[in-house]
Amino acid sequence: MKNSKKRLARLLCAAMAAAMVLAGCNSSGGNSSSSSAGQGGEEQVLNIYTWADYFPADIVEEFTSTTGIKVNYSTFESNEEMLMKLEAAKGGQYDLILASDYIIETAIQKELVGKLDTQQIPNFQNINPAFQSKYYDPTNEYTVPYAAGIPLIIYNPELVDFEIKGFEDLWNPQLADSIVVMDDARNVIGLTLKSMGYSLNETDEAVLGQAKEKLMALKPNIRALDYSTPYNLMISGETAVGYMFTSQIITALNENPDLKVVYPEEGLGFGIDSCFVPSDAPHKENAYKFLDFILDGERSAHISEETMYINCNSAATPFIKEQALVIPDEMIEGAEFMMNVGEADELYQQIWTEFKMS
Amino acid sequence: MRKKRTFLPETYVVLMLLLMYLPIFVVVAYSFNDTKLFHWAGFTFSWYQKLFHNQTIINAFFNSLKLAVLSSGLAAILGTMGAVGMAGRTFFGKGALEGLSTVPIMIPEIILGMAYLSFFSLLQVPFGMLTLVAAHTTFCVPYIFINVKASLQSLDPALGEAALDLGASRRRVFFDITAPLIFPSILSGSLLAFAMSMDDVVISFFVTGPETATLPLQVYSMLKMGVTPEINALCTVMLGTVFLLVAGARLFQSARKAKKGR
Amino acid sequence: MKRNKNRPPITLLPMALWTTVFVAVPLVYVLGLSFMKKAATWGVVAEFSLDSYKNLLNPVYLKVFAQSFWVAILTTVFALLIGYPFAYFTAKLPKKHRSLVLMLMLVPFWTNSLVRIYGWMILLRSQGVINGLLMQFGVIDKPLKLLYTFGAVLVGMVYALLPFMVLAIYNSVCKVDWSLVEASRDLGAGRAKAFFTVTLPLTMPGVMAGCVLVFIPSVGLFFISDLLGGAKTMLLGNLIKNELLSAKNWPMGAALSIAMMAVTLLVIRLYQHFSRDQNLEGLL
Repeated sequence: MKNSKKRLARLLCAAMAAAMVLAGCNSSGGNSSSSSAGQGGEEQVLNIYTWADYFPADIVEEFTSTTGIKVNYSTFESNEEMLMKLEAAKGGQYDLILASDYIIETAIQKELVGKLDTQQIPNFQNINPAFQSKYYDPTNEYTVPYAAGIPLIIYNPELVDFEIKGFEDLWNPQLADSIVVMDDARNVIGLTLKSMGYSLNETDEAVLGQAKEKLMALKPNIRALDYSTPYNLMISGETAVGYMFTSQIITALNENPDLKVVYPEEGLGFGIDSCFVPSDAPHKENAYKFLDFILDGERSAHISEETMYINCNSAATPFIKEQALVIPDEMIEGAEFMMNVGEADELYQQIWTEFKMS
Repeated sequence: MRKKRTFLPETYVVLMLLLMYLPIFVVVAYSFNDTKLFHWAGFTFSWYQKLFHNQTIINAFFNSLKLAVLSSGLAAILGTMGAVGMAGRTFFGKGALEGLSTVPIMIPEIILGMAYLSFFSLLQVPFGMLTLVAAHTTFCVPYIFINVKASLQSLDPALGEAALDLGASRRRVFFDITAPLIFPSILSGSLLAFAMSMDDVVISFFVTGPETATLPLQVYSMLKMGVTPEINALCTVMLGTVFLLVAGARLFQSARKAKKGR
Repeated sequence: MKRNKNRPPITLLPMALWTTVFVAVPLVYVLGLSFMKKAATWGVVAEFSLDSYKNLLNPVYLKVFAQSFWVAILTTVFALLIGYPFAYFTAKLPKKHRSLVLMLMLVPFWTNSLVRIYGWMILLRSQGVINGLLMQFGVIDKPLKLLYTFGAVLVGMVYALLPFMVLAIYNSVCKVDWSLVEASRDLGAGRAKAFFTVTLPLTMPGVMAGCVLVFIPSVGLFFISDLLGGAKTMLLGNLIKNELLSAKNWPMGAALSIAMMAVTLLVIRLYQHFSRDQNLEGLL
């Protein structure tokens, strides 16, 4: 017995030594693989960085099988995380990033975004101009719009006794402990500002102070804050009212068609998620190939049906089978982009912390 | 003690174990659920099919496995050597070193992650397996160090001293007496460290590179987006594998014991 | 004894080096960061400032601190109350069953922790398993609100951290010299008295280690409160993450972490003081 224990101890030491050697091998192995790029065109690799499942898995697979380019799909949780990583990598390591409008604006300002070589993206012309020339990329040099979304109110008429028309109705005392909204400072403070007739991007301290007062009164009505899967709460009846993004609204509606969608009468917010190639991307040509690939009309339509976001591609329109959610034109016209608020960001976060702690 | 036999202890242990497995049962059950959502919609194997075709998850799994083996192994060496080196001695800076080596599990992971992000960026180290192993080893060390140290403290120093007096070399004392006695604590510490590494999201996020997505990162991201069934299937597979390994190890042990007893 | 007890041995070198590079340096960096100024948009200005520490006194931040430590204390207490008997009974099982129980306890923790929390979400939902059963048996006639409550958060926290407590206590129960307990019984102590005067003090190092190992991570854990509590409150982890990512105020995030470390250390020192357990020093 004692002998076997001794042997075990020695075995363990040997295993550890092996692990150490392996670690050493690994680091040198990593170096050689990255240095093998360069001669004779690019390495057949594409490093994509975005939210999980935003590029449908079958599209990525199809891309690999047609081009032979291996795709490394890594994911982030929020735009801010993406920017932090991209900054640490000094605009390198990643080849193609898909993120939201306002963060792309910051990334461009920080010179982390490379100009697109549209010559290499023949399908670039397919893009619907309605989604181009926006504030973050007025000359369309940096971005390829991928999907658009509008946050809307959704409610369960079985659980709500009155008709919800806009943001103001969320404060109705009948909705005590029954609302789910995004776990996001800008969106929720934004809806409060909208309900008061102000802009989503308000930076005035006095106005934000008033919004804070009003926001505090909303807390008793909040059942949960959920950024990514609020539709589950609507489907299961855990909450009666929700404020969430377009794709989440459609998911909830697919499961429970009796839910009612509300285009808030105070006006809408609007956002576009776009692809860009970082300034120092190691495999730029592969990134262009991928962009061209997904801008193909039929594929683009397929992507929209998978992700359930609003399509930004004119060539895709004939292929989209069902217009699951048609947003009234007059509402889109008045829709407001959520933009960077600069230093007011901190004030927003401060209000948010107080809201959560109340 | 022997006269009255109550089954209270056994009942409590079994009940607690059942409670611990409650959410696991749910996860396993839902891996066969024919919907992405929370309600029950019928039995299906399709999530397993999807899982085995999902190259991203499979790659992430192997990345994580490699990472966990490397970092818990490296940490086991560092932590054990450290704990053994410190035992029974007092020297300048001992307290500081002890404190410092347990710090990684005392501060919020996000701080360590943020610090590493800037640190590696400053040193121009490309983010990837190397940075991951460095970071994970750091937070693995305390689990082994604390465990081994506790077990060394409860060792009877007379054992070692007697052996030394009888002329054994210090090396022999370590391998023949100390090592077998502290081995269980090294093992349990390493296993814990392995599990922590396999499960880490926050630090990994900060130090990972484009080619080394780890499983927890993938899982976190997918769960956040509501893509749970494949993940449930994956957990079921992992759970099954671990159970098979454990059962195998026990069978092997009892077989060996039986052979020895002959 | 021939060896010099007052000189650090060579075997210490690898850990000392590693710790210096990967713990001390980053910590100094965080400390330095906390005294810097926030840049206008993103990043920091290398200029000495106490602004972040002054901001700490903001009542909202103090509230976040109080809330986080309250959750951590409750988690530790419940983990101890549940974990001690579990570890104790397990250690007293026949040897064959002991390792089986420990293995069974640890296996789930080799799967993803988030997934297990999702398991709890399914259990606790208003149309979930628990409410379903309770209604089936007529205990209640309307679903209880279990999910998105403080109780749900505690269940999740205790569940996630229990193994640390159990392992630590189990290790020390295994080391108890039972002849001492028997001696006290022979001398006429009742079961309870023998337990409280002999066994418990002997296992105190394990209890302390377990408490520290549960308490510390529970101060920083935030995803459980987000998932099971509906993200309706803010814990230190959330706050630091927000400061770093959303408010882009790295010095503030660093100052919050330094303060959090300080308070954690203080609490552990207090534990140590009241338990008069010097062994715990090793954990600091």
